[in-house]
Amino acid sequence: MKKRFAGIGLAAVLALSTAIVGCSSQPTTTTAPKQEQTSQGSTAPAQSDSGEKVLTFASGNDIVSFDIHDHNNTSTEAVHVNMFNYLVKKDRDQKVQPDLATSWEIVNDKTWRFKLREGVTFHNGDPFTAEDVKFTLERIAKDQKLLEYGNYKQIKEVKIVDPHTVEIITNESEPVLLNRLSRLGSSMLPSKYIKEKGWDEFLKNPVGTGPYKFQEWKRDDRLILVKNEQYFGDKPKWDKLIFRSIPEDATRVAELLTGGVDIAVNIPPSDLDRIEGNEGTHTATGPTQRVMQLTVRTTPGTVTENPKVREAIDLAIDEKAIVDSILAGGGTPTRTRVTPGNFGANPDLFGKALYDPERAKQLLAEAGYPNGVDITFSATSGRYLKDKETAELIQAMLGEVGIRAKLDLLEWSKFNETYKAKKFGELFMIAYANSMFDASLAFDRITTERGKGETDYSNPEVDQLLKDAEKNMNLEERAKQYVKVQEIIAQDRPQIYMYQMNANYGVSDKINFEPRLDEMLFADEITKK
Amino acid sequence: MKQYLLKSLLQIIPVLFLISVIVFVLVYCTGDPVSLMLADTATDEDRRILIAALGLDQPLYVQYFTFIGHLLQGDFGKSFRYDMPALPIVMERLPATFELAIAAMLVATVISIPLGILSATKRNSFLDVLFSGSSVLGKAMPHFWLGIMLILLFAVELKALPVSGRGTLAHLILPAFTLGTGIAAEMTRLIRSSMLEILNQDYIRTARSKGLFESIVVYKHALRNSMIPVVTIMALQTSTLIGGTLITETIFSWPGMGQLIIQAVNTRDMAIVQAAVFVVAFLVIISNLLADILYRVLDPRIKYN
Repeated sequence: MKKRFAGIGLAAVLALSTAIVGCSSQPTTTTAPKQEQTSQGSTAPAQSDSGEKVLTFASGNDIVSFDIHDHNNTSTEAVHVNMFNYLVKKDRDQKVQPDLATSWEIVNDKTWRFKLREGVTFHNGDPFTAEDVKFTLERIAKDQKLLEYGNYKQIKEVKIVDPHTVEIITNESEPVLLNRLSRLGSSMLPSKYIKEKGWDEFLKNPVGTGPYKFQEWKRDDRLILVKNEQYFGDKPKWDKLIFRSIPEDATRVAELLTGGVDIAVNIPPSDLDRIEGNEGTHTATGPTQRVMQLTVRTTPGTVTENPKVREAIDLAIDEKAIVDSILAGGGTPTRTRVTPGNFGANPDLFGKALYDPERAKQLLAEAGYPNGVDITFSATSGRYLKDKETAELIQAMLGEVGIRAKLDLLEWSKFNETYKAKKFGELFMIAYANSMFDASLAFDRITTERGKGETDYSNPEVDQLLKDAEKNMNLEERAKQYVKVQEIIAQDRPQIYMYQMNANYGVSDKINFEPRLDEMLFADEITKK
Repeated sequence: MKQYLLKSLLQIIPVLFLISVIVFVLVYCTGDPVSLMLADTATDEDRRILIAALGLDQPLYVQYFTFIGHLLQGDFGKSFRYDMPALPIVMERLPATFELAIAAMLVATVISIPLGILSATKRNSFLDVLFSGSSVLGKAMPHFWLGIMLILLFAVELKALPVSGRGTLAHLILPAFTLGTGIAAEMTRLIRSSMLEILNQDYIRTARSKGLFESIVVYKHALRNSMIPVVTIMALQTSTLIGGTLITETIFSWPGMGQLIIQAVNTRDMAIVQAAVFVVAFLVIISNLLADILYRVLDPRIKYN
């Protein structure tokens, strides 16, 4: 009996000690001061107890890293823009504006000269100079292992003219240089700090020139930025920014409804009504750079080699119905991937869709398939907003005109593998974004060379136009070349563009927020009501 | 006993080795991290460079031996996603998961002990049927459904508790309850049957025939002995809890291991998956061993040979 007693006692002690270990280790990992934690409870976050102005965002995933060169994630950039500056930035209309560079000029086809803003300091006090520009841009232009390397290898070198003037020299003439410099991968880094303290230290305690500076990052939980009193631009509007990572949609919406966060991104269409109906919250929606499209094989031996079959597919799909029924109106039908706001956009093809099932049937018959055709149609499941539902509806629409599509729904990583191996059948559905805001990126896969094995599309005229436009420093002529390419693609249909996707946000009534086309979350564009 | 302990400890080595093979092969087979990392615009050349940089162009067995070699030095490799050593990232998450697991266990204990005792002493009564019924329900209810329902009721409608996140005690209540319910259901049934068995023993009958108060018979004599299997089950459940908080952590965006594993699987962050599975496996083995020892200490009739 005594022994048993001892046993139970031992068990109790064991249980208790694990409990104590568990609890006592909590404060060491939650380094946030007590006051912050309580302000995240059910109290309204836009104004915390102490009266400081706090803005809280909720997104579906955490930022990837503070290595601004080694990710290609828009939602990560959306956070970074509050901490770092580019040489030039895009305003809400996507027009290039001065930022860390105050002016620039084209010296010759391959050389651009930038005058840098004076008196700017990094968050650690280091001054921002030409050294930092050279360090930052040459790192990404030369290190092949970095994920953004492909978008910066066009830069040959950065020459320091004086501490506040640099010349960027490119390998070829580079008409889209300003677009490159105003996007992810171009944030200016503190060269002295990184050289002295090392890259690991920078990743732990990142330093930029932006309106908000780093305070704390608890992975997959929250990132906290605080006001930078020394900011060179307008005074930051908020004392503190909190970016929370809440992967579960239902939870993210619930946080917004209860006032736990001020802005929630990536709201499923089915929850929009609930947010509108709730007292104290509303929704905001805005176009993004992402266009949902079908990539079509023109490979000899496939049924889709026949242009009439491709046209029939295009005419069979009612894009407006997809947008209205599945996306709750959150999208715009389009016949081009270069949507408004991009250099080289073709407005004639935007906002339009061809839907004519009768003509589609006729075209199939003309192509020699009066009894219909069988094709394979691959799509993602869970990668894009309502992708599975969209694919199923498209399958039904194709069936209506006699195109029997065998639908193959794949989880993203499996889809991606087949995609990279170029092993899809006649049709696959994918959505591309365009972080460059330039038509060149949109036609990346259209050339004979890049289309090999995927669409097998080859049109010498398109190849020539794209080749000319790529290096054309006459911007007016360059835009015309891209407009022409879009017309040809809309006719030839190696890719059938369906709709531009909107981004849906849930917003607290306490703040004013307008979505941006580039999906960036500039805190200082968001104001308290 | 000492021999048994030594044997058990030695057995951990081949088990961990086996786990390393399984984890490595599974992660290797299920997806290509490079495709997920590269941008849409990447060329085949970019892809080739990245594959070489990550060492993924080596034959599978070479990659495995490199992996094991590093592992023996305590190096689980670098996380692709964070570009940092994987083990510290995993260890950083352990306290949050422990906190949740212990709280869930507390919830389960607080619910199950009184319900189990009442069910056993009032056998076949209305209460017994009610508790047995709800324990079946509690076991059958999926965590994600229960979690979301609790959020809707207590956070959105009543505004009594925070929806998600970690920090204060209030943040802990809903996830602990979500996770604790299933265990409570299991433990209630176990306590009930264990208690019933003890109540039928001769010494209880003797105690009753001596005219002792029923409450003394139940709480002093029967309860203590019926707790033996319960304590071991608690130890075993704690180990499964640590690995099993995946869904609950995701729903409540609780920054623990479960959420880390899900994110790592989604991004094919091999090093993190490997390190996390290893840590969980190690904890499961250790707590199983502890359960065995505990059982032996509590009930000397059990012999290990």
